[in-house]
Amino acid sequence: MIRNYFKIAIRNLWKNKGYSAINIFGLGCGLAVCLLITLYVVDELSYDRYNQNRDRIYRVDSDLKFGGNELRLAVSSDPMGATLKKDYPQVEEYVRFYTSSGSKLVKKGTSFIQEDRVAHADSTLFNVFTLPAVAGNTKTALNEPNTVVITESTARKYFGVSNAIGKTIEADKVPYKITAVIEDIPHNSHFNFDFIFSMDNVDYQYGNYLSMNFQTYILLKEGTDYKAFEKNFTQVINKYILPQAKQFMQIESMDEFTKAGNKLDFRLMPLLKIHLHSDRTPELGINGNIQYVYIFSAVALFILIIACINFMNLSTARSASRAKEVGIRKVLGSERKNLIGQFLAESTAMAIISMLVAITVAYFTLPFLNDISGKTLFLNNLLSVQLLPFLVALPFIVGILAGSYPAFFLSGFKPVAVLNGKGRSGFKKDNLRSGLVIFQFFMSILFIIGTVVIYRQLNYIQTTNLGFKKDQVLIINGAGALGNNIESFKNEILGIRGVSSGTLSSFLPVTSSRTDNSFSKDAVMDPKNALSMQAWDIDYDYIKTMGMEVTRGRNFSKEFGADSSAIILNESAANVLGYDDPIGKKIYTNFQSATSNELVSYTIIGVVKNFHYESLKQNIFPLGLRLNKYQAGLASFKVNSGNMESLVKQVEAKWKRMAPAFPFSYRFMDDAFDNMYRAEQRVGKVAITFSVLAVLIACLGLFGLITYMAEQRRKEIGIRKVLGASVSNIISLLSRDFLKLVLIANLLAWPLAWWIMNKWLEDFTFRTNIGWWMFVAAGILTVMIAVFTVGFQAFKAAIANPVKSLKME
Amino acid sequence: MIKITDLEKIYRTEDIETVALNKLSFEVKEGEFVAIMGPSGCGKSTLLNILGLLDDPDGGSFVFNNEEIAHYSESKRAQIRKRNIGFVFQSFNLIDELTVFENVELPLIYLNMKASERKEKVEEVLKKMQVMHRRNHYPQQLSGGQQQRVAVARAVVNNPKLILADEPTGNLDSSNGNEVMQLLTDLNEQGTTIIMVTHSEHDARYSHRIIRLLDGQMVLENSLI
Ligand SMILES: Nc1ncnc2c1ncn2[C@@H]1O[C@H](COP(=O)(O)OP(=O)(O)OP(=O)(O)O)[C@@H](O)[C@H]1O
Ligand SMILES: [Mg+2]
Repeated sequence: MIRNYFKIAIRNLWKNKGYSAINIFGLGCGLAVCLLITLYVVDELSYDRYNQNRDRIYRVDSDLKFGGNELRLAVSSDPMGATLKKDYPQVEEYVRFYTSSGSKLVKKGTSFIQEDRVAHADSTLFNVFTLPAVAGNTKTALNEPNTVVITESTARKYFGVSNAIGKTIEADKVPYKITAVIEDIPHNSHFNFDFIFSMDNVDYQYGNYLSMNFQTYILLKEGTDYKAFEKNFTQVINKYILPQAKQFMQIESMDEFTKAGNKLDFRLMPLLKIHLHSDRTPELGINGNIQYVYIFSAVALFILIIACINFMNLSTARSASRAKEVGIRKVLGSERKNLIGQFLAESTAMAIISMLVAITVAYFTLPFLNDISGKTLFLNNLLSVQLLPFLVALPFIVGILAGSYPAFFLSGFKPVAVLNGKGRSGFKKDNLRSGLVIFQFFMSILFIIGTVVIYRQLNYIQTTNLGFKKDQVLIINGAGALGNNIESFKNEILGIRGVSSGTLSSFLPVTSSRTDNSFSKDAVMDPKNALSMQAWDIDYDYIKTMGMEVTRGRNFSKEFGADSSAIILNESAANVLGYDDPIGKKIYTNFQSATSNELVSYTIIGVVKNFHYESLKQNIFPLGLRLNKYQAGLASFKVNSGNMESLVKQVEAKWKRMAPAFPFSYRFMDDAFDNMYRAEQRVGKVAITFSVLAVLIACLGLFGLITYMAEQRRKEIGIRKVLGASVSNIISLLSRDFLKLVLIANLLAWPLAWWIMNKWLEDFTFRTNIGWWMFVAAGILTVMIAVFTVGFQAFKAAIANPVKSLKME
Repeated sequence: MIKITDLEKIYRTEDIETVALNKLSFEVKEGEFVAIMGPSGCGKSTLLNILGLLDDPDGGSFVFNNEEIAHYSESKRAQIRKRNIGFVFQSFNLIDELTVFENVELPLIYLNMKASERKEKVEEVLKKMQVMHRRNHYPQQLSGGQQQRVAVARAVVNNPKLILADEPTGNLDSSNGNEVMQLLTDLNEQGTTIIMVTHSEHDARYSHRIIRLLDGQMVLENSLI
């Protein structure tokens, strides 16, 4: 019976090739989107699952609010891990990562390679995380100083073999012995290192509870409730942190600290939540965002629904032409359930063919998804044990869902009525179909408006006044390698044609890992008068090269000998201090020595106009600029040349001469700036792809509907023409109803789109506004697309000779 | 009112050429009631379609109201058609989705008439055709005879000078058929020109004159008055 159903089903599909093609292609696109997004979502959800202890590992995060600055950190202080393990039996183990500057120069032969995926870690690393050894014993690998564990591909890269045990590697001029080689860390890990050095080699002022620089993970014993465990942090604060705070700040109690508007808090972040839920600084990798996982899943579902709706609409639209078939079948003795079976077989057959189309489409569009998502996904990931049943079941689910309404609808015709030509419900009074078309366009309009807003915001980011000029700035990384030659390097580069100014500095206004220092208005560190801010070391030419603007006072100048104890503040810092005229006032810090009470004073000589040095998602926090030419790691040059390539070549030649062993690495500041918004740019691209797809599939449905409608109404159109209807009368007759639906969809979608996009924009402290023209534009666009889709078929129907269609009767 | 000379219509399909009208000439005066008869396939419907400006001839001349219109464009013909000509078909050709009232109203809508004026006219003609009580029914809910009366009502609602009827009684029993023929006769008496295709000698007797066709040519023209 079922075989027979399918045989007839396939024959029917073949008989109505045009209709089947529209349906299969639409559904295929919908399913392809579904497959791709499933791949993406499954990958996002798989992060860190490779760890056997995945449910017991937690990262200790710190929340700080101090002196006008708010910090949400993914790190805590160096003694935190050990303290927790010592005081609380629930803590089975802890491990810390220290990434300092974030990169090391590793010697290979006679040259150096800049390696970015490096970290120092405690020897307990392998008790917490599952990082299997290829060679050596990870249990003891990092026990000694000057030891390093590397990954298999790194071993191959440096030594040509994976077993590199006992070999020595030189990183930042320090020799390390390779004690273990581990398998490459899976790509779906929130950290991804090639080198893990011993923690003993970190040069650090240990023991300071108030200095947060270590990613700290604890392994809780089986059955420990981590939410309950978090309550212990109050105790930790009172027992260890407060005594230290008293020592070099004037704090008597946590109460007093919080009353002054400050905050210190620790939380546990479950390992499996880090990738999608954590947005702190400094993260060890580029994290995903659970919101986008939700959004993409919803989008996949909606696109699939839009495709299913086409299917339902076209099937019911075809009911008129199939009514007679149903009538005859019933007269010949077919029961209703046979008919339902027949129609479901048809829709399932179509869904199965669509699935094959979808797999083909997905295969060819996967590289595109990989490109915009920055992942390397493979279609065979879908063949995993968990996903395969879903994949096989999907066409059946879709077939039955999409086919059930037409099946029940069509099989319900009464044979006598149908054969007498009555009972055909015709085209007009089908509210369900209208509702479904409205829904399709409703979703399409949401996608379109969403895309417009996202692009506006991206554009806003590109063009907003940042307070500095990011264009045409060439950044040379790792300039610290030049040592004492750095000044002469700068001067040599300034001699190149097209280079107008240059600066040596430790930081640039593009995101990087930085820490705050506490400053105070008075010569004592009192939390009431504290100012927590970043302090950047710059030189005389920094402000000029970056195109920043000094609004008060002056820039550093060689004419003033005492500028080494001078400081320039940004407007935010000046506001927090609250002086009418901050110029000449002093601020203090104990930066020089973390454990001593000795204060250093700085005189404010200028205020620089606020510039965005973090993402536009954040406020501009206080910042100080100090003159200090020794810590410079970045050399930046304002360049203006028609031939950037040759200019960079000249710079590289000079670098090669002065630091031949060190890799030459450069970037342009606008690229570095764009990097900060990679996630948004990805979302932008994904959004535009989905909008186009959604609109396309919805239009495919409209096209199918109008084709059938014109077919069904041939006779009516003929009569109307005989009675005097003009071509435009007929076109408007056919398209009017659809346009009405599209307009209704617009009216329904606008408020929701406005609400959703406002929510999205709330993420950005600095953002564009949503203009009414966007809604009008989306409306006009959808109406135009609908007119175009419907118009062609309507026109064809309208110019047909009425004599022919009337003869059909 | 109508004068055709050497009118030709040739249907070309891939391999066959059918001469549906072969140099046909005749004249119809205003106020006449003409029946066209002939065996199946002789070209009656083809002729009627051309006279109704629904189709164009392949040769010859067609003068309508002293205007040569054989080569007029479709839109120009449509303009003339909607003001001057009403159609009645064998299969009624009512629109199933519209009520009786709406069906009859259609020609007036395409003449851009005001709604109040339309209502008045439609009700008047529905009363005349005795289907006023069915004004809110759909065509499927009417008998064949009622449907044809609605079709006639629709054909005359805009007071056309010419009514073309293609086997108007073909689908009706004799009593309903006679009723429709009586309606046409009444209209003719009020001054409307009528050209009717029929297979029935009985119906043809209502007309003033019979034109007999064979293979697209006129074989006989007999006047009944
Ligand atoms: N669209 C067409 N294509 C090809 N040949 C056609 C077409 N329409 C009509 N014919 C041919 O033209 C001739 C005349 O057809 P027409 O419909 O005018 O006949 P009729 O006299 O109305 O016949 P009946 O009494 O059966 O309605 C026929 O031979 C028919 O086969
Ligand atoms: Mg005929």
